Amino acid sequence: MHHFARRRWINATISVALVALVALWVRFVESSLGRSAYHTGWLLLAMLVALASYSLRKRLPVLPLGRSAIWLQAHLYIAFASVGIFLLHIQFRWPNGILESILACVFAATIISGLVGLYWTRTIPKKLAKVGEEVLYEEIPRLRVILRDRAQNMVLATVRTSGEATLGEYYEQRLRSYFARPRGWRYRLRPSSDVRKALMADLTEATRYFSDTERKSAEQLFSLVRRRDDLDYHDALQWRLKTWLFVHVALTYPLLLLALAHGWLAHLFAGGLS
Amino acid sequence: MEVAVKRPQRWDQPFSPEMREVDVDHLLRMDPFSQIDAKLFPAGQSLRDLLRNDTRIIEYRPGDLVVREGDYGSSAFLILSGQVRVVLAGLSSESLGREPRQQSSWWNALWQLARNPRLPEVRRDKSPAVVSLDVGQQSEEEDCLTAVRNTLEGPRVFVQDVPLLIEGTENDTLGPGQLFGEYAALTRSQRPATVLAESDAVLVEIRWQGLRDLMRRTPALREHIEELYRQNSLRVHLRETPLLASLTSKQLDAVAEATLFESHGEFDWQDEYEQAIKGRRGDAVGREPLIVEEGQPSDGVLLVRSGFVRVSQRFGGGHRTIAYLGKGRAFGVAESVESYRSQQVVNQELSLRALGYVDLLRIPQEALETLVFPHLSQQEIDRWEADRLYKFGHCKCDSKLPESPCESKTNDTLKQGTLEFLVERRLINGQKAMAIDLDRCTRCDDCVRACAATHDNNPRFVRQGPRSGPIQITQACMHCVDPVCMIGCPTGAIGRDAATGVVRINDQTCIGCATCANSCPYDNIRMVEIRDRRGSVMIDQSTRQPIEKATKCDMCLDLPTGPACLAACPHDALVRIDLGNLGELSGWLDR
Repeated sequence: MHHFARRRWINATISVALVALVALWVRFVESSLGRSAYHTGWLLLAMLVALASYSLRKRLPVLPLGRSAIWLQAHLYIAFASVGIFLLHIQFRWPNGILESILACVFAATIISGLVGLYWTRTIPKKLAKVGEEVLYEEIPRLRVILRDRAQNMVLATVRTSGEATLGEYYEQRLRSYFARPRGWRYRLRPSSDVRKALMADLTEATRYFSDTERKSAEQLFSLVRRRDDLDYHDALQWRLKTWLFVHVALTYPLLLLALAHGWLAHLFAGGLS
Repeated sequence: MEVAVKRPQRWDQPFSPEMREVDVDHLLRMDPFSQIDAKLFPAGQSLRDLLRNDTRIIEYRPGDLVVREGDYGSSAFLILSGQVRVVLAGLSSESLGREPRQQSSWWNALWQLARNPRLPEVRRDKSPAVVSLDVGQQSEEEDCLTAVRNTLEGPRVFVQDVPLLIEGTENDTLGPGQLFGEYAALTRSQRPATVLAESDAVLVEIRWQGLRDLMRRTPALREHIEELYRQNSLRVHLRETPLLASLTSKQLDAVAEATLFESHGEFDWQDEYEQAIKGRRGDAVGREPLIVEEGQPSDGVLLVRSGFVRVSQRFGGGHRTIAYLGKGRAFGVAESVESYRSQQVVNQELSLRALGYVDLLRIPQEALETLVFPHLSQQEIDRWEADRLYKFGHCKCDSKLPESPCESKTNDTLKQGTLEFLVERRLINGQKAMAIDLDRCTRCDDCVRACAATHDNNPRFVRQGPRSGPIQITQACMHCVDPVCMIGCPTGAIGRDAATGVVRINDQTCIGCATCANSCPYDNIRMVEIRDRRGSVMIDQSTRQPIEKATKCDMCLDLPTGPACLAACPHDALVRIDLGNLGELSGWLDR
């Protein structure tokens, strides 16, 4: 068995075992007429603190706090286990208080964002690796400008040398806006090669009207259109990877605050409302 | 904001501040310096200047350790008086007193984090990252053979029981006028032997920069040192060759007599390398100097002394790389053994080409048949012959012989294309290359941020670089087997850490000449403009140009975390790896 597969099995087994042990404990406490909610609540709060501390670890790279990869593994499996503990804590019933409902919603949103992020971090890198060129996210706007200038200058040079305007007009009508502007939100949310395919097909069709000089330039335009599409693809997927993390981390703070408030109130009214 | 300062110069920080004019006069009266024509040196870098700034005189007492086997060194020693003993003990550096590297404490690490300025490349008056050259450290290991005594010049390591150290070892005594230590200085590698003072001895230590200039301007000295290097390296190399392991010292001397030196390729291989990476894939092989051609009769065994060679086989219209061999590896053993047994001429099945500049040793077939093979047991002969490698691109043996290039051949995990990529781009030179698995990397840049946080707010690498499939070899210093960046440094600011071999830059002695950055074929050293503690950019008071310093990855040698990039990667996508060992790379990919 490969290292990652073995690691997955071991970590999953430990998580399931932890949840099972807590379930048995809850059953024992409940059968002894105790209130397990305090125990599971504190455990859940400790787990949330442990999960949030990963963010702190990332900010302290100079300290020997263990490898980030180990922290991430712990983060993932503690999060999985926390779902089980959460269900035991709410006793498989949706809470009825306002604060508790909001807290449950934020918890669910954080877990869902984490799951979505996990899926994306495991699938998007492979998609990006298949694109020929590796680009840094911060470099993308600059590279876009370079591609736009190259396309524009090449078309202008062709018009000047050949004295024919067909390619120039085609560029103005179909390609100028493609090179000049970033892709819209629709593409960012759901990147596809539709526009590239359509442009390539259009350009192929238009070559019948081009002179020999223009055809040579059109060959380069094909390549530039493809490179621009690759760049946009990188932009969309890298943006997605960065944005989900932002959302996931942003949800952590209200979750922790609400959990603390809930714990405080739970203890404050431990004896019941009089 | 700018602040004008004096641009650092080559000898602002001499090798030893204690060198006096009277010491220089003394040296100039002694051989070989008395025979050097001082007029051959330019006015700004006279022989006197060179001796004053690039040498130091050290006095040793009997038993004192001069150099330690296994340490990286970049200086040579000339014996002025007394005697030293050269010992080939094969002991670990730790048992010879090498102390494990002291890493920064938690408190210091936190303090550094808190003090990190917001602006990049701010220089405070911090102690330099010293490139250690001496042996003034002491291990606390129980079986350690050394101890420390205090002298006026600082702590000095000495061997407590010299007879125990030299018992059963090959050793030799050197006297006044003799030079040693040139091997490690010239090859930028580890010291092959331990040297200790036999009697009260006075030595002059010459750092690499001084030795280089002396050799450049004094042909007779250069020839003498090169001859010494050839002799010493030959002895070291033959002794470490497994095929010759069972020979006695006398038999080994006879083999050394018969051994031929060969050099292939250009010393300055950077241009050729740049052409190779820009050209069409596969074309580079044809341009590489041919050493052995497939189909030609085998003529002895070739030992790689320095550099790398490509082992290839014709395939279609091109050449398929089967393996690459680096320092210490042998080529043609099985063919030689077969020829010896069958008493017939055996043709080579593979070609051998130089990757850059390569130094080889050739033990001719005749010498092998008379001096080596008759002394091997039948079992050893069988074993060597069975080790016929790379037939049709597949290793036929599962040999664990140290000379077997099996570990540097391709396998199922590592695709042929990756092997070709590593060889064509000469990435095999990297001992601690940063490889990123792009199939796992989420481009989160945690590695970049961690590097910046630990290095003056400016990352010491760029998360880009050549790639083959999902493997990207990032533009971070690879701490090469042969760090050519070190050759031209005028001050010795760039050098290997004595214990780990990590190539580091001493910021205090770097004068910003960019020689190292221009020499690095992989473009992994960057020049940066520096700022003073208030954040003002430092400029040269005479030229008004910014003061620059060379920066590169130092493997976070002083940090308790190890390389921060590696520790910061959440997805196990990044590794620091020896690309000379394909087994390690395929093992990492096959996780």
